Amino acid sequence: MVKGLLCAVLLLITINGHAETWPDQEWAKGTPLTGAALDALDAYAFAPRDDATRQGIRTDALLVIRDGKVIYERYAAPTSASTPHLTWSVSKSLMACVLGVAYGDNRFKLSDPVARFYPPMKQHPTVTMADLLHWASGLDWQEDYEFAPLKSSVVAMLYTRGRADMAEFAANSDTFSAPGRAFRYSSGDSNLLSAALKGMLGHKAYMSYPWDALFTPLGIRNATWETDADETFVASSYAYLTARDLARVGLLMARDGRWKDQQLLPRDWVAFNRQAFDNYKAGQDEATPGGHWWLNQGTPRPWPDAPADTFAALGHWGQALYVMPEQRLVIVRYGDDRDGSYRHNELLKRVLAAVQP
Amino acid sequence: MIRRRPFTSLFLLLLLALLGWVWHERVNLQAFPDIIAAYTAKEYCSCRYVANNPAAYCLGYVKQYLPTSAFNDNPLRSEVTASGLGRTHTARWLGERQGCRLNP
Repeated sequence: MVKGLLCAVLLLITINGHAETWPDQEWAKGTPLTGAALDALDAYAFAPRDDATRQGIRTDALLVIRDGKVIYERYAAPTSASTPHLTWSVSKSLMACVLGVAYGDNRFKLSDPVARFYPPMKQHPTVTMADLLHWASGLDWQEDYEFAPLKSSVVAMLYTRGRADMAEFAANSDTFSAPGRAFRYSSGDSNLLSAALKGMLGHKAYMSYPWDALFTPLGIRNATWETDADETFVASSYAYLTARDLARVGLLMARDGRWKDQQLLPRDWVAFNRQAFDNYKAGQDEATPGGHWWLNQGTPRPWPDAPADTFAALGHWGQALYVMPEQRLVIVRYGDDRDGSYRHNELLKRVLAAVQP
Repeated sequence: MIRRRPFTSLFLLLLLALLGWVWHERVNLQAFPDIIAAYTAKEYCSCRYVANNPAAYCLGYVKQYLPTSAFNDNPLRSEVTASGLGRTHTARWLGERQGCRLNP
């Protein structure tokens, strides 16, 4: 009897000793960062802001989670803990998570042609779901935002010729390569994924799917995801989340798609997200593409001061969600960088210096 | 002709090249003036009504190198209208989940 009780107590202690921390309504607080390394991080991320020239590093939010607990959190007004901040292309990786749930429900296979779910893609019958996830549809797309506004496919898609039906605009592109052969970063590919998901689910289920499949299970209550006039989620650009809520997605990814005791995203889906695209050539982009996530892989590594298992969701003007599974770190950084002076590697280096015990 | 009027010839050649380029880019050129009004209306609407930032901040946030000629934010309808380069566009806030969208 006494022995049994002792065993039970021991078992409880063991369970608690290994207990993972998960955010409930709020995030738990860990031991806050302190010291000189923290000052160096603050100095880099929150340099004095010049709103007249808009030059330099302009961080709106920086949140660091370790072991499921907040160890650093800072905002620059008017952004606050309750601001659903525009994530721009971080939305693409969020769509990858939403698709992961559909994948786990056997709604599609990676080798499925997109045209099966989205008929306008019959113009490009051999493009598969995996090709879109690798940004390797072979569609002739110009991603440049500000430097080539006349030729920019993404500006035309968001604001002019494509805005009524962004996926159709992308599907009507010419091709420059066979599908799956060449990487070319494309917001069109991401919106085609969104339209394919609609085809799998039907319009009604689709309209609440990002909330039903991802946001609600993660306890995210303030997400906005804008749609085009055809009611397709703008997966390329227009999801809005608070920094704390985006960090929940980071924790989900850091723990291999598991949320508490539920495997929300299949492990093989997360493995696909984190596997580098074979036909990517070093230097084509700022990091190595996986399955709609960015990886710190290749030679040289895109962010040499961060561990090789680092991966990220990245967006225009400095939006970032960094995940470091080995370090048990999740970092959300929102910004309004207009001149490209912000460096992922520099921020990650300073965060890592500040979290070392 | 080229030897007697070198400048006129060069001018005509450049004009021809320009016309060729305009024809080649006619679809993009026709849509181009819409960008500034559509961008300003949509991104201001989202800045104000999705992210709930103050109006003054959102005005600065959407400022581009091209100026807008008219701007109106109607808080009662959560509707934002902007004009620039002779085009006018309106974006409206649709709800918590769907945020803002440009009117057709």
